[in-house]
Amino acid sequence: MGEIFVLVEHRQGKIRDITYEMLQLGERLASPQGTLSTAVLLGHNVKNFAEELTTKASKVLVVEDAQLEHFNSVHYQKVLSSLIAKYQPPLTLIGHTAFGMDLAPSLAVEMEFPLVTDCIDLSFEESRLKAVRSIYGGKVNAKVSLKESKGYVATVRPGVFSPGAPGEKKGGMVMEPSPLQEMIDVKKFIEYIEAPITGEDITQAEIIVSVGQGIGGPEHIPMIEEVAKSLGGVIACSRPVVDRNWLPKERQVGISGKTVKPKVYIAIGISGAFQHVTAMQGSDTIIAINKDARAPIFGVADYGIVDDFQNVIPILKEKAKGMK
Amino acid sequence: MNIAVCVKRIPKTAEADIFIEKDGSDIKKDHLVFYLNDWDGYAVREAALLKEKHGGEVTVITVGPEEAKEVLTRCLAMGADRALRIEEPPTQDSYLIAKILSRAIKNQAFDLLLLGVQAEDDNCGQVGVSLAQMLGLPHAAIVNHIEIEGDKAKVRRELEGGIEELTELKLPAVLTIQTGINEPKYVSLAALLEAEDKEIKDLGMEELGLTLSESVDTKIDQVFFPPVGKMAEILKGNPEEVVTQLTEIIKKKKG
Amino acid sequence: MKIDPKTFIQDYLLNICIQCGTCTGGCPVKFRSPLNMRRLVRQTYITNDPSPLFKSPELWACTTCSNCSLRCPAGVKNVELIMAIRNLLANQGEVPSTIRDALENTFLQGNPWGRFRDRRADWAKELGVKILGEAASETLLYVGCAPSYDPRVQNVSTALVKIFQKADLDFGILGKKESCCGNEIRRMGEQALFKKLTKDNTNLFKKSGIKRIITISPHCYNTFKNEYPDLTIPVQHYTQVIADLMETGKLKLSKALDLRTTYQDPCFLGKQNLVFDEPRKILTFIPGLEFVEMERSRQRSLCCEGGGGRMWAEGGTEGTRNGEIRVKEAVALGAKVMATACPFCLLTLEDAVKISGLTSEIVIKDISELVAEAIDENPITKFQAPNNHQ
Ligand SMILES: Cc1cc2nc3c(=O)[nH]c(=O)nc-3n(C[C@H](O)[C@H](O)[C@H](O)COP(=O)(O)OP(=O)(O)OC[C@H]3O[C@@H](n4cnc5c(N)ncnc54)[C@H](O)[C@@H]3O)c2cc1C
Ligand code: SF4
Ligand code: SF4
Repeated sequence: MGEIFVLVEHRQGKIRDITYEMLQLGERLASPQGTLSTAVLLGHNVKNFAEELTTKASKVLVVEDAQLEHFNSVHYQKVLSSLIAKYQPPLTLIGHTAFGMDLAPSLAVEMEFPLVTDCIDLSFEESRLKAVRSIYGGKVNAKVSLKESKGYVATVRPGVFSPGAPGEKKGGMVMEPSPLQEMIDVKKFIEYIEAPITGEDITQAEIIVSVGQGIGGPEHIPMIEEVAKSLGGVIACSRPVVDRNWLPKERQVGISGKTVKPKVYIAIGISGAFQHVTAMQGSDTIIAINKDARAPIFGVADYGIVDDFQNVIPILKEKAKGMK
Repeated sequence: MNIAVCVKRIPKTAEADIFIEKDGSDIKKDHLVFYLNDWDGYAVREAALLKEKHGGEVTVITVGPEEAKEVLTRCLAMGADRALRIEEPPTQDSYLIAKILSRAIKNQAFDLLLLGVQAEDDNCGQVGVSLAQMLGLPHAAIVNHIEIEGDKAKVRRELEGGIEELTELKLPAVLTIQTGINEPKYVSLAALLEAEDKEIKDLGMEELGLTLSESVDTKIDQVFFPPVGKMAEILKGNPEEVVTQLTEIIKKKKG
Repeated sequence: MKIDPKTFIQDYLLNICIQCGTCTGGCPVKFRSPLNMRRLVRQTYITNDPSPLFKSPELWACTTCSNCSLRCPAGVKNVELIMAIRNLLANQGEVPSTIRDALENTFLQGNPWGRFRDRRADWAKELGVKILGEAASETLLYVGCAPSYDPRVQNVSTALVKIFQKADLDFGILGKKESCCGNEIRRMGEQALFKKLTKDNTNLFKKSGIKRIITISPHCYNTFKNEYPDLTIPVQHYTQVIADLMETGKLKLSKALDLRTTYQDPCFLGKQNLVFDEPRKILTFIPGLEFVEMERSRQRSLCCEGGGGRMWAEGGTEGTRNGEIRVKEAVALGAKVMATACPFCLLTLEDAVKISGLTSEIVIKDISELVAEAIDENPITKFQAPNNHQ
């Protein structure tokens, strides 16, 4: 049996955290199967990454090609499928990220491997892959079994598995020639666009009062903003609040918004989807106000209030006065 | 410019009490209301906007039960011209759904296929990009801006950390649409009633050369409530008391 | 969109307008938005294509208080005109996004906030209230959306239950089968959805075998009474019921409330349906309560701006809210309590008290809350009167 593949995710000169989380998971899955894990690194001028990765994985497979400098699913898929054909990994782990969501499904279809996405746990039973996924917006989990296959692809939810501590140098580095030849023109990366920072920079705040779709409408925002101000903090929000134009984009906390680590994060009417939670779970103290006792947000919060926010916030507004 | 949009009817669960079926196969759904998947709503609206700009036709397709026609009617009221419902297989599996859709779409002259990034119920985020591969078309996932230039689409993909990626695709192509890409428009009941008169085509699995016992890649063994690991300490008392505790905590923690 | 202005002229009698300006003069939002009823009537009358006119955002500032049409000496149907324009806009999907959400939510969950349908009667869980269908009663307490879901207004529902139970009035509620009455839906322009609600509700009422309906909100009262074509069951606002219970001696109040209290006439109860006396009767019946009348009262009462979908429409207006003006008027009278009998008045006025920083001067109460407090020594209200009451 081949070794488990872990696809390294990097962007703009940095290895992304999900890589380390997956490497740790890869090791854990590999040993009971009597195998090891391989970090698969595709890119251009990425030797320094390779060095670093050898401390985390048994082996680092490297493909260097100028066409791999930026992520392009077509290039990645082509290289990966040829590596998979050669090394026969029983499982390929890819991040459930903007990068992985653009790549894993097409790769799996091409390889004729079953795919399971957004996993919060994985295990092998015999040689069959089982996964745990979080569904219905995190309200329940599902145990999923995949059909018998010689290879699987799974995407892993970021922030669920802890990255391993950097260890001894474990493995070596293997260079593979790039199978890419002529330019592929059906899909072209052009550039990154970074949103200009305007208004308040919520990442600098020590106290964040964050609102979600559960506040029902923009009419409650002034009251909540006042609470934030009295506490010496700022107001932020989940994504649907931005989609509905209740607050501007620069206030959005989440994987497609800002990552924040304030001293206190108060989540009001936010259900706790992982795209939100990953970007705020580093806060020192998290307080959730939600009327649904089953809301997943209570799983990450330190303190919770199970009530309608309208019962709580007006009182908090009074009590918060002068607390700054 | 002919566009197909694949949509799904999903139960709304964010506000609801959730119960699990006795056999653990799924959650109970009798008491839930069903609606057009949020992401798909944005995709249909985007198709309608592209049609306004570039002409052509919009076809909406769903794989689902008879009731799923409701959401197709809504899509027709939102500006789609044609609608197709394909019978639902007994087991829900993203791979199989993509396969069914690819059979239905193959050999039809679409310039653009739009799907939502993911469905609100299973949160898989898998069908669109799988479908692209099955049809041999280029794709981009998590798109929040589309510009059509001749036989190319310039799209912005939303990445983590507020960064976007500008990518160019050759048409025909498959895009999965992110919420917020446009401003949804209100669909009045009058518009819905009018759309009810439009025809919705029905198709069986057999007609696509598939059987009802088609094999699946994934199967849900069991659904369960997430284990209560580290749970928040729930503050007890009437609102007044709760807020007093809350302000104490904030005072202490903010240092 | 191409609209034939002729239908508007005929349907809303725009041709008989004498341009006297009475409508604009009495409009509560005239200082808060560019909305000018006299001009709107005129412009719609003379234009060949009114569609550009209908794009102005101030059309959403109208609270449908009906001052204009009630006062028009010629009989122009001003409010109906506004609603018809909004209907056109809704059918084209061109409504403000917050209104869009409210309408979609009502379609889906039967209430404009999109709260889960099954939770509609959660507020009544421990109150021992009959749910029609499970138990029988000839009297329906139609609760309405805000009194079902809004935590502040739930207090009003609870107070009413307490009062009715005290007076041994047999009644039931519809529980989770209840849906929005549609009054605001119609005023936000969704005529088709309104029609569907009238049909569904009428059938439900008939099936429940009830002989009378009591509403909490004047908005529900208005639409049941005046706009449900097939509803023959008599409808009362709760103030009419309580006034009657008091007069016939079925409800006795033992506790004195030594409060100087004034009263805000809700537009949909007062000027639109002429229920002026009952609320005042109730207030003067409460032992110890000193009732004072505001300068502008009854027909001349100032609209709180909560009607006509304004609870869901942000913006379109600027400057001091009527609610603030109203609260200041009450404070100037020396009133410690401003009573009202409408969920929207309650919410908008309470908001105004906070905005104007008058929380230590005056509280807003629904009449039902005052009555419930005067029933015994055991007040159920969560919101206490300001400290200086004692
Ligand atoms: C690629 C991708 C990127 C994404 N990026 C982000 C991101 O960066 N940030 C982000 O936030 N999301 C992001 N999302 C969306 C995410 O999946 C969720 O849809 C979103 O976070 C849900 O927002 P919410 O919690 O505000 O709303 P909901 O999930 O609708 O939750 C509302 C909550 O409010 C509670 N509630 C309702 N009424 C009340 C009340 N009166 N009082 C108290 N509580 C109440 C409800 O019980 C519920 O728990 C992304 C999704 C995708 C696919
Ligand atoms: S009050 Fe009547 S007659 Fe006078 S301007 Fe207004 S609509 Fe015309
Ligand atoms: S109904 Fe009231 S708010 Fe609307 S235009 Fe007439 S007077 Fe003004």
